[in-house]
Amino acid sequence: MASRIKLIAIVLVLTLAGGGIAVYKHVKLGIPLMVGSKPAEWLVEAKVSFIATGSPVTARLSLPASAIEKNLGFDARSAGYSFIVEEDQGEYSAIWSADEKIDNQALYYRVRFNDQGVNSGGPIAQTGDAPVPEDPGLSGSLRSAADNVVRRAKELSSNPDTLFVGVFREITAIAESPEISLLKRHYEKEAGVNALIRLGIDLLNMAGVPARVAYAVKLEEVRGAQDPIWMVEYFDGVYWKVRDPNEPASILDPRAAFVWNRGGESLLDLSGGENSQVVFTITRDQIPLERLTDLRDSSLLVSTIFGLPASERQVFSYVVLIPLGAFVVVVLRNLVGIATLGTFMPVLLALSLLEMKWQHGLVMFVVIVGAGLYFRFALSRLNLLVVPRVAACVVIVTLLMMMLSVVSWHLGIRDGLKITLFPMIILAWTIERMSLIWEEEGKRNAMLQVGGSLLVAVIAFFFMRERQIRYWAFYFPELLLVLLAGIILLGRYTGYRLSELIRFKSFRTLE
Amino acid sequence: MNHWWHRFFRTPGELREMGVVGINMRNARFILPNNPRQLYELVDNKIRTKQLAEERGISVPETYGIVRNPHDMSRLGMMLGNRDSFVIKPARGSGGKGILVITGREDGVYHKPSGARLSLADVKHHISNILAGLFSLGGRRDVALIEYRVTPSRILTDISFQGAPDIRVVMFHGYPVMIMLRASTRESDGRSNLHQGALGVGVDIATGRTIRAIHHGKPVTLHPDLKVPLTGIQLPEWDKILDNAVTCHEMTGLGYLGVDMMIDEEKGPLMIEVNARPGLAIQMANGVGLLKRLEPAAARAAKFQHESREAKIAFSKKTFAVESSAAGTATTS
Repeated sequence: MASRIKLIAIVLVLTLAGGGIAVYKHVKLGIPLMVGSKPAEWLVEAKVSFIATGSPVTARLSLPASAIEKNLGFDARSAGYSFIVEEDQGEYSAIWSADEKIDNQALYYRVRFNDQGVNSGGPIAQTGDAPVPEDPGLSGSLRSAADNVVRRAKELSSNPDTLFVGVFREITAIAESPEISLLKRHYEKEAGVNALIRLGIDLLNMAGVPARVAYAVKLEEVRGAQDPIWMVEYFDGVYWKVRDPNEPASILDPRAAFVWNRGGESLLDLSGGENSQVVFTITRDQIPLERLTDLRDSSLLVSTIFGLPASERQVFSYVVLIPLGAFVVVVLRNLVGIATLGTFMPVLLALSLLEMKWQHGLVMFVVIVGAGLYFRFALSRLNLLVVPRVAACVVIVTLLMMMLSVVSWHLGIRDGLKITLFPMIILAWTIERMSLIWEEEGKRNAMLQVGGSLLVAVIAFFFMRERQIRYWAFYFPELLLVLLAGIILLGRYTGYRLSELIRFKSFRTLE
Repeated sequence: MNHWWHRFFRTPGELREMGVVGINMRNARFILPNNPRQLYELVDNKIRTKQLAEERGISVPETYGIVRNPHDMSRLGMMLGNRDSFVIKPARGSGGKGILVITGREDGVYHKPSGARLSLADVKHHISNILAGLFSLGGRRDVALIEYRVTPSRILTDISFQGAPDIRVVMFHGYPVMIMLRASTRESDGRSNLHQGALGVGVDIATGRTIRAIHHGKPVTLHPDLKVPLTGIQLPEWDKILDNAVTCHEMTGLGYLGVDMMIDEEKGPLMIEVNARPGLAIQMANGVGLLKRLEPAAARAAKFQHESREAKIAFSKKTFAVESSAAGTATTS
């Protein structure tokens, strides 16, 4: 009885603590409990990282003018630095400075805007004198090749916009002209990355259209940080415009990309540090900025992961799903009684299903495990020891994945490529364990257990994919305490499992 | 009482009425409070269990040798000597996994009960799988045990298709509460796991006579392959079997356990292993919910602490006797 009271006390405390914080956040800080019908907001965070060398540090990061002029929600964080925003002829930059820093440093600048995006690549009128195109200074055969290309493009175009299209069409054409191949080889040797964009910019300048690099980010929610992508900004005589050289004919879609830096300045100038790098993290936030700021500024217990920079926080949007998956496993094993291969293998499988179309993921799983089993039985004739055998299985699984990816790519299923996110070691162990069960207990049991694992994985996947559930887990992580209380309660459930009602269906008492 | 739904399931209320114990209840009410974690080592390692049993005077199959590492493998020939039959098992195996039974030898080729043939290299490969932990819980490294192969008593081979039947005694607080005989069928391929198609035969604690049998959860009266009656068979040396089971409880200190024994033609009952998490199929074989036995045993244990072993056995025999056994066939003693 005493342990029962203890149990109830613990469950109550956990529920009250978790629920209490959630209610506080909802009532006091006004964070909506239900996932909003309002569209999500984009959050683009630039992270400047470098190793300080011990001398005074000054870092200048170019900022999107649109963010400041249109008064988008923005903020900067970096402990121990003084921070100002400087304006110079319509161009803005963030300047951080501090004395004598050493070791790894990280500075952040965030911009938020709504789902419709910001027209960050739109025309901007030139202030002051008209810009002059810069001659790239090519000579010899390169020069004449470039001249030929420019001439051809000019003949087909009537204004800078169509010239832009002509130049980049020529560069990206599959059947490229001899001049372009020559130039490409030269630029690839000289410039390395983004050589083609540099080539295009130089050709535009030679054709009399001033052009320069602009830096942008793609508005898509991917795990981890992305490097800035290169765009081209050119002058059409009156305005500066930004276009994506990969889609030269279309005007930049503000919902697909956000131009961070235009105006030809470098993205980052740094003194007092080395190995500097700028990366961007793009996430969607489901709650308005003001609420988020309140949340971040509240006490540690309440703010939790919202005190972290977006790049760190983003990781948690996946991490918080794992306990949910574990909960599903507990329910399905202890209440329903589904047998699975390995207790938490289905959670890992469900996590990888989240990254792709789940039907594709399941097909891939079945194909890989099926083919892997076939090879595993072939291997068993070689009488290998256990660890080398599993390692051999890993190699085979890897090769199968590559083959599947190639095949599905050719079939037009682009998202097959994401299969690399499948937990390969887990797959190899699944194959190994399944083949053992197959041999020891027959194929029926092996199928039942793999089928059970798949079923649990799919149910866990649907649970974890539910928008409302994800919202609660991410914005109200303290509700995990309530989940914990639920799991503790389930841990004391001594009633029958659903499967046992069937297992014992032909139970006859002696009489 | 029959209801249409009995073809598909039983309601929780019906199962509770019959005293059926489910896995959750077994774990939470019987295993967790009565089997302290540190005692598991005594029964999870068969070498330890055998050692303990021998100290207490329980007969166990003779150990021919232990292969502890790949280096020992070179001495395998010496361990096997000229023996024609033996059993190789992982010390930490569970659920009968990884057990290799050799029944005969001819020109250096070993025979399995099924008639399959193995070379010495095959045997060595099996042992290396055991050493690598393929059959042990959590895949930890293991050792291989080579021991005497039980020649089952005639009376038991008569009701088993290949394979040696074993006797499972479930003990609670030192009281034998339920007993089952497991006999293999063609389907179970020499194994005695019920979910692989082996027969579960309920045994009356009072007399040691079989009372009913199940196959895949359904009552049967004849062996599906051998067509011999399964009920009314008197197990030999019954009192010794019960006595051994009580000793296993005393030597391990586990409150809830299953003791597996085999009956050898010459050596009588031999203890094979002790299980700290015995399964639940035994209640189907006996047609009695475990709770109907566990609760009286617990009440008795609370009332008479440190009862003598004779008194415990007497209590079980008296309380759990099956009166007017369902099987009317004559005894075969």
